[in-house]
Amino acid sequence: MIVAAWICLVAPLAAALLITLLGTRISRRAAAYVSTTSVLGAFAVAVFVFAKLLSEAPSARSHPSTAWEWLTAGSFHVGLRILVDPLSVFMMLIVTGVGFLIVAYSIGYMEGDEEERRYFAYMALFVFSMLLLVQAGNLVILLAGWGLVGLSSYLLIGFWHDRPAAVAAAKKAFIMNAVGDATMALAFFLLIQHKQTLNFPDAFAVGPGHGWLVNLVALGLLGGAVAKSAQLPLQTWLPDAMEGPTPVSALIHAATMVTAGVYLIVRTHAVFEQAPHVQELAAGLGAGTLLMAGLIALVQTDIKRVIAYSTMSQIGYMFVGAGVGAYANAEFHLLTHAFFKALLFLAAGLVIHALAGEQDIRKMGGVGRLMPVTRITFLIGSLALVGVPPFAGFFSKDPIIAATMTRGWYGYILFAAALIGTFLTGLYAFRLFLIVFPREPSPFVREHLMRGSHAAGMEGAHAPDHDHDAHEHSGEGPFSMTAPVLVLAVLSIIGGWIQWAPLWHPISNWLDPAAPPLAVPTDTQEALASLFAVLLGLAGIGVAWLIYGARQPTAPRITSRVPLWSRSLLEHKFYFDEAYDFAFYRPSVALAKALGRWIEGPIIGGSIRELVAGIRDAAVGTSRLQTGLVRSYALAIAASLAVITIVFVAVR
Amino acid sequence: MGWLTTALILLPLGGALLVWVFPWDGFTAGSIALLVALGEVGIWIEALVRFHFDRGGLQLDQRTNWFSDLHVSYHVGMYGFSLWLVGLTVVVQAAAIIYAFWAGRTGARAYFGLMLLLTAAIVGVFTAQDLLLFYVFWEAMLLPLYVLIGVWGGPGRLGATIKFVIYTMAGSLLMLAAVIVLGLSQGTFDLTASWQSSSDWLFLGFVAAFAVKAPLFPLHAWLPDAYRESPPEVSAVLSGVVSKAAIYGFIRIAITKFPEPTKDFRTVILVLAAVGLIYGSLLAFRAPDVRGVIAYSSLAQIGLITFGVFAVNDLGLNGAVLQMVNHGLITASLFLLAGGIERRATTGEFSRLGGFARGRPILATVLMTTGIIGLAVPGSSAFAGEFEILAGVFTRGWGYSVVGAVAIVLAAMYMLRLISAVLHREPGPAVTPDALDLRPAELGAIVPLLACLLALSVWPAAITERSFTNDRARTDVSTQFEASP
Repeated sequence: MIVAAWICLVAPLAAALLITLLGTRISRRAAAYVSTTSVLGAFAVAVFVFAKLLSEAPSARSHPSTAWEWLTAGSFHVGLRILVDPLSVFMMLIVTGVGFLIVAYSIGYMEGDEEERRYFAYMALFVFSMLLLVQAGNLVILLAGWGLVGLSSYLLIGFWHDRPAAVAAAKKAFIMNAVGDATMALAFFLLIQHKQTLNFPDAFAVGPGHGWLVNLVALGLLGGAVAKSAQLPLQTWLPDAMEGPTPVSALIHAATMVTAGVYLIVRTHAVFEQAPHVQELAAGLGAGTLLMAGLIALVQTDIKRVIAYSTMSQIGYMFVGAGVGAYANAEFHLLTHAFFKALLFLAAGLVIHALAGEQDIRKMGGVGRLMPVTRITFLIGSLALVGVPPFAGFFSKDPIIAATMTRGWYGYILFAAALIGTFLTGLYAFRLFLIVFPREPSPFVREHLMRGSHAAGMEGAHAPDHDHDAHEHSGEGPFSMTAPVLVLAVLSIIGGWIQWAPLWHPISNWLDPAAPPLAVPTDTQEALASLFAVLLGLAGIGVAWLIYGARQPTAPRITSRVPLWSRSLLEHKFYFDEAYDFAFYRPSVALAKALGRWIEGPIIGGSIRELVAGIRDAAVGTSRLQTGLVRSYALAIAASLAVITIVFVAVR
Repeated sequence: MGWLTTALILLPLGGALLVWVFPWDGFTAGSIALLVALGEVGIWIEALVRFHFDRGGLQLDQRTNWFSDLHVSYHVGMYGFSLWLVGLTVVVQAAAIIYAFWAGRTGARAYFGLMLLLTAAIVGVFTAQDLLLFYVFWEAMLLPLYVLIGVWGGPGRLGATIKFVIYTMAGSLLMLAAVIVLGLSQGTFDLTASWQSSSDWLFLGFVAAFAVKAPLFPLHAWLPDAYRESPPEVSAVLSGVVSKAAIYGFIRIAITKFPEPTKDFRTVILVLAAVGLIYGSLLAFRAPDVRGVIAYSSLAQIGLITFGVFAVNDLGLNGAVLQMVNHGLITASLFLLAGGIERRATTGEFSRLGGFARGRPILATVLMTTGIIGLAVPGSSAFAGEFEILAGVFTRGWGYSVVGAVAIVLAAMYMLRLISAVLHREPGPAVTPDALDLRPAELGAIVPLLACLLALSVWPAAITERSFTNDRARTDVSTQFEASP
């Protein structure tokens, strides 16, 4: 079983290396298939590991394995160690399963791009890194996976590297994540000094009497989590990350990587439980993010950015869940979210692909008439997102909301925020759906979709020589693209039925040994939460219908009544970018410039010029001292002797 | 077995004489130099195989009296960590010679002779166990550099050389004084003898020489010019290897022979290192050209490594040795790549570069990989080194680690800026469509360095487990360097 877990980890890395090293000796198609096969193989192996683990007693389901000592120093040593336990296997299944569907979808989506090989090598590298993150058996290996997913994300956001916006977005994502890496590393240094080990779970038993220490460690971990999961206050990179190809957004910036922060909190729950205030802070940040992202999503005009803000908002729910100690519920929502959010992105990708890379929803409208499969799948995804029964989101989101009610007055604040969030979710999700799909096709859509075939549908669109007409397919893309979308649509419906809080809970049973919950809501609380959440979600849909759904859209009339300041607040995403630019970027640039201008040039560089000039002057001065006057020589000798004596006395 | 160490010094020295004495043509001279450089790598691998890492202490040593009345001897040998630094030297020198051979330096005989002499001298510095011998090698290391920069450098080479000479001469003179006073007062120049000194002045004499050569802030005035004006492969050696000789001096002489002064001056040095780390990172972020970024990032990295050394604990020292090797490999390949870029675009200025990635996948992959390791992405060997260093210096004050954490973010900023400015966006005015991808010779120079980095990323403990004796209870590194029984 352990061997299988290692194979699962290494298979995608092997694919990435193979594609890189073969270079142009491997055809573009072959690179795509190598990458896809490796992820499928990893999924098969993960299923095998899951089955083996399932056959064991719940208390025995924890298997560490160390390949070799990775880093040592005296008594400190860190192994290349993986841990197979219910939590890691749960994540492995999501990463490889959803990963396989999305990589397979990419075969059609990226077809014709000049640099397909590079794309598929990066995708395989990402899956490897993500597996390293979730399989890691100690904090250093976890941080290695953590950094490598950030790297893959950087490489894939900036995949179309001749676009300045993509390059800038990639850099921003990497640097904001580096901030999180740095705070995590500082937390680890504290742990090293205190515990001499970073292995799970020994490192977490900090022991009582170290309140400040455990609080700092938890804060450092939380810093990493909010950076990776795009939560307040390090959330600004995620919308920009939509510059990458759409399957990348689906895999990295929706289904897997951005949920790593939730995984981190669940994995290190022992630390957070010793620092309850920091854990409450995590829940609070989640609640703040879900509200803020829900509001901003209302005014976005880029189809992918709306979904990106929705992702931030949904991860906010997971943070709330992990923050109140409902770990299994948070992980369950992570699972269903991976299904329906990947579905939404891939369906949006079908639209973008069909419209030759256009992402502005104001130009869309009536797409559904010409893309019926996409419309129905997008609708399923939206319903699952809002949490309408019997779609997946209903089963996973409501238990999180219920769990907040077990946490006293602070819990009720979270409860209120989460409920407002469901209303916003219904509103922005159906605003998007209603603008893009129903009604008569807009002229722009007609132009692209009414023709039998369409122009190269690449966002990158720098493959003019590629003859897209060679493979005549329907307006909705080839089978390799529609099939994963359909599978995800089915999963977005039935994926939630795995667990229904009051009746059956296999996921909680599976995960509880790894992370026992702090909050178990009563059936009444569950029912209340579901009732409110569903009603408010439907209310959101209803309002969206009133504004955007009627024959004559009333949107302009309504939006014109919204005060200007609040609209510009939302359109500027609460001015976080501006604030960070003002508070960090500009000062550091100014400091760098000032150092270059006032220190490096005149003082450091000048010192040597002064020195050279000084030596010359001294030589001239010395010759002038040769006055021939014995008196002045005697004076000089006496002075020198005095200096030497003083120096000697001082030295001794 | 001591002949192995001596052979590592004599082979390049003999090669240098061979190249100088006979009237070879340029191609033959280059071939000889290349053969010698590869032979050095072979001997080093032999030494690696024969080294008993579990035993620790000085090994492969050889000793012959030189001036017996002064107790000066020819005494060479290697500790675990010196072995790694010698390995770094021979590998980087081989890469530099391959690159120079391919680039076709004028006056090939003089040039390659000097490169071989430089190799011998640096290996000598890393292996000498006698203070006077150490000083001789130290000076022998600087002399070829003066000529290499002054003759084969860029347009501003004269100014660069003068700055370099003045700074290093001043440092060397202070060290010479310290060596003589120390050797005479101790009655021996042998470093393996168990003596220690508590003189602040002598300590500062050594530290001055090392701090200038490393360089430590604010003694780096010579650095930007020297790194910009040298031929790229000389910059690679200068920042990759020669700066490590100074750090080696900190470890081998300053902290082991002067434990008391080390404690007294530790805070001062750590603060200077911290300032240099941030200062270098910020200037690297604003530097207008490729080599400027590499030069100032080297200044920052030296600050970081100094953190590890002056933490004087297991984590710090092991991390420092690992990071010395990492940084040597990274900065050497970056300088060679910078040379390749400048050849293609005739400039290294960012404002005129860009778009190199399109149509040049090998250059893009190699530069991207080196840069990403250079910014210490978690999982890389540079991350492993930095992690240990900062965990080590944490015990001397959490503030240093916080500075280090800020520097991690700054490193991401300047390195990604370098990568994007060269590779990404639309092609710059100096980038023509017919600029070639990396040529096989360039790959031959750079890929081995990169392969070492990747191998170390998979297994950084290869170095950290084998640098100092694995004595789990040890806290003071100086006990490592007492005379072996």
